[in-house]
Amino acid sequence: MERSSVSIAGVGAVSSAGWDAASTIDSFRTARRNVAVKLPFESAITCPTFQVTAELPTLPPALNQSRSLRLAMKALREAMADGEIDKFDPQTRVGVCIGTTVASQLNSIPFYDAYRRDPGAPGLDAVNDYLRANLAQAIGQLLGATGPRMTIVNACSSGTDAIGVAASWIRGGLCDWAVAGGADEMNRVALAGFWSLGVMSSQPCAPFDRDRAGLNLGEGAGILLLESSNHAKQRRKGSAFDVAGFGSACDAHHLTAPHPDGRGLDLAIRTALSQAKVAPARIAFINAHGTATVDNDRAEGKVIARVFESGVPFVSTKGYTGHTLGAAGGLEAVFTLLGLREGWIPGSAGFENQADDIPVAPVRRRCTISGDCALSTSLAFGGNNAAVLIRRLA
Amino acid sequence: MTARRASILGVGAVTPLGRDLPAIQEQLERPAPASSGVLRVNDDFLPGPALSRRMRRADRFARMAAVAASDCWIGAPSACEGIARQRIGLIVSSGFGPHCRGFRFLDGILDCGDAEALPTDFSHSVHGAAAAYITEVLELRGPSLTTTDFEIGFEQAILLAQCWLEEGVCDRVLVGAVEEIGDVLIHCASRLLGKEGFVPGEGAVFLMLGPADDGGFAHLEATALPADLDLMMLDVPAIPSPAVQKPAAVARHTTTFSPYFGHTASSSAFQLLGGMLAIRAGRPLGRIIQSASTADASSVAVDKAATFKPSCDPLASSLLLTKR
Repeated sequence: MERSSVSIAGVGAVSSAGWDAASTIDSFRTARRNVAVKLPFESAITCPTFQVTAELPTLPPALNQSRSLRLAMKALREAMADGEIDKFDPQTRVGVCIGTTVASQLNSIPFYDAYRRDPGAPGLDAVNDYLRANLAQAIGQLLGATGPRMTIVNACSSGTDAIGVAASWIRGGLCDWAVAGGADEMNRVALAGFWSLGVMSSQPCAPFDRDRAGLNLGEGAGILLLESSNHAKQRRKGSAFDVAGFGSACDAHHLTAPHPDGRGLDLAIRTALSQAKVAPARIAFINAHGTATVDNDRAEGKVIARVFESGVPFVSTKGYTGHTLGAAGGLEAVFTLLGLREGWIPGSAGFENQADDIPVAPVRRRCTISGDCALSTSLAFGGNNAAVLIRRLA
Repeated sequence: MTARRASILGVGAVTPLGRDLPAIQEQLERPAPASSGVLRVNDDFLPGPALSRRMRRADRFARMAAVAASDCWIGAPSACEGIARQRIGLIVSSGFGPHCRGFRFLDGILDCGDAEALPTDFSHSVHGAAAAYITEVLELRGPSLTTTDFEIGFEQAILLAQCWLEEGVCDRVLVGAVEEIGDVLIHCASRLLGKEGFVPGEGAVFLMLGPADDGGFAHLEATALPADLDLMMLDVPAIPSPAVQKPAAVARHTTTFSPYFGHTASSSAFQLLGGMLAIRAGRPLGRIIQSASTADASSVAVDKAATFKPSCDPLASSLLLTKR
């Protein structure tokens, strides 16, 4: 049998920019930034965040405590509806590959505070909730999936990496379908962590801007429902988009800082282009990682200038969603597909002035794009870099 | 699904029995030591002098992972000869990740406030910290993944490594599992699982995998439960349930290495380590818990050995080792 390619049967996205794809497009069209000033928990830290206000699905009681899981299920249900899938045929193999950060850690402060006072005192509900809410495991359980499963914890590139892994599974014949993307909730521990690193801005973030002062945290989920093209043919279903290329590479440089020249991202992008057999000039636009931290945007801008010598429109959508950590790669892959589908990309919210240390600038205002291929890029703690190439099919 | 397998080109491990593989093998030939309640990795095994400066801020979790990965690399010097670093992938699986450092960060929040906790505790509490150290120390520039799963993370990591090799994403994949045991986890495990027969453990196991025709001492394959095995390795103190009677029935001998390494969320990695050493020794090792024949276990050659774990993915519930 011919080796399968990776069709995208449906997409779903929930973030502060919108509770689904349609409302997200509306926010992008009107350049609306839904910045929250109040945190959903008590904290001495004050900063803007991007929170989801949409109603989330109620899950069985054993799983309902995980907001990350509920965000993921919200996006998954939209992706299934988008692909006109009510439920999966039990004869098919369904893989689940999800990126996250917060949902991977036992970070219940009330539990740990009580434990420190008296180890025998706290109940174990928080521990049980954590054990049950491994995202890939829980989603697989809710779907009755019998294919491969993986929860990826590659920090901020997790969602993009999850799409790459799921695409490998499909090409390798390990499953017919794959649920791929990322989900993360707003969390006090992550907030304190990024604050401690000194990379958070007290103002709404300004990716790639001269005066960028750091990131804002966000929450959300972005899910792609991937299908083997051979399976889609058997169902006599066409697809308008596919995952044409993916690349992942390490900086091997530093635990938290990107390589100054972005050597890992450079390799990841070139690998994705090579896998898709697509020249840089064919890329219609890039949905850049663009966190608005000094180091990230400088390294990423250098790579974009180097790989795309003749120029390419690019945008950071974190001005609309904040940095959603493990969800970012999933959300931004969905936004990339939406850009190709709509034929335009939004202005890079927060960007005003070109930076001296970045040789390129993102689009300031909504702009029309032409072409059939686009990239979404991610950089992460640990020097991980990933790029996924989405293609509109004829 | 396409059948696929990889060659094992190198092995590195740090366990409660140490990190020298021949010495671990010797200890697996003897009865398991009496349990002291928790099987920890002795700090003397961590880390080697070559690693110490680069890893001066690293915690035990990252050190265990980096030591096992480095031993795997150093122990198979020809395995990656002539292969570009960007063609070598890394997959690190763990159930609980660096949770001890995570709790240290929570100590900072509780003792000093949200705005005053230490950045080094936060950056090291992230699951991918160990992989970051490994890529830096070994200068790996290919794809790097850290995954978390409480049941089948290592099986899925092996499956993906095979997929990468078959697809040509990488020429080599360094794949491993690492688990650390801390006071909070010990406390929770004893309350959730009970104390009888359960001995928490920790450590790290790494394998260097290459395509099936690239040498090595054994083939490895994530697969459905195989038939006709010399040795089945199970993470149980005995065979208490029908769920494990079925896999035990396909093997001449069933053994467990848990009394030596302890129980972890990545137990298959440690069972596999015991299985690899049994193949190298040519005879069953560990605590034999069931035999299909009356023949002395030590007289049975071990050419095929497998782990088994009931899984949502029945086509990857076993890790099958086949001697070359």
